[in-house]
Amino acid sequence: MEISTNDYRVWAEGSKIHYEGTMRLSGTEAYAPILELMNNVLDSKPEEIVLDLTGLEFLNSSGINLLAKFTIEIRKQPEIGVRVLGSKAIPWQSKSLRNLQRLHKSLELQIN
Amino acid sequence: MTVTFGHAELTNGPSATTLHITLAAEPLELSWQHCGTTSDFLGDYFAKCCAKGVDQVDARHSIGYLLNEILENAVKFRHDGNIEISCSLDGNHFESEISNVIDPATAEKFQELLTEILARDPGELLLERIEANATDLDSSGSGLGLLTLMSDYDAKLGWRFTPDASNGSVNLKTVAALTFS
Repeated sequence: MEISTNDYRVWAEGSKIHYEGTMRLSGTEAYAPILELMNNVLDSKPEEIVLDLTGLEFLNSSGINLLAKFTIEIRKQPEIGVRVLGSKAIPWQSKSLRNLQRLHKSLELQIN
Repeated sequence: MTVTFGHAELTNGPSATTLHITLAAEPLELSWQHCGTTSDFLGDYFAKCCAKGVDQVDARHSIGYLLNEILENAVKFRHDGNIEISCSLDGNHFESEISNVIDPATAEKFQELLTEILARDPGELLLERIEANATDLDSSGSGLGLLTLMSDYDAKLGWRFTPDASNGSVNLKTVAALTFS
């Protein structure tokens, strides 16, 4: 499954979800199709979900809220692990992704 | 009478690099994308003027992120009229003031929200609001953008509400500042 526009692309390969581009959607409703794609991966009950954000240059606060909501959903299922991949070259990731770890202590955050 | 919240004063001096943009039209039809393109432009413009030693990539992103969040609010909540953006950079201190018109009911709600979010540590409140928001499917996550700016970007934010007696609307000025290390 893939969601693709001129600005961004989100797709899943197995239990790894990739994000690319610039996401500045207008709020919860606008992000709903992306959350659905993410929930489909969660519903397949994999051992570990990987969120690969290394290609996501920009994410507005509504989008960060979406990642936070999803992290809380994963937290409800302790048997499912989660790893978040970020890039040091993309400033928002070093600033905001640590909040996901504060929400879910066993979330593994790798910013390289 | 003007009511202020937070850090509503501008401090950059006359030697600062400045740029003013007025988005004016009758009617002014701004789409969501215009917030992004405008803030990207300003981030790029001011990153190039930063003092020596400031990380330009970080400055471009942080200014762009800050202005995008505030412009998104201005576009979402504005009543009518123009949007004015004034920015200045003095060494490693960036300041912006975004002015727009809102209706009195929006002003009242927004002031209640500001009273709540300014009373607490923004990092703690951000996590608390995210948790609350996750259990409420209808919640729009209001205030999360401002809390993200204060908590993750260490932005200093302030607001000035000035009622306009001639037409019953409220002029809102949002002041936002960042200091780069």
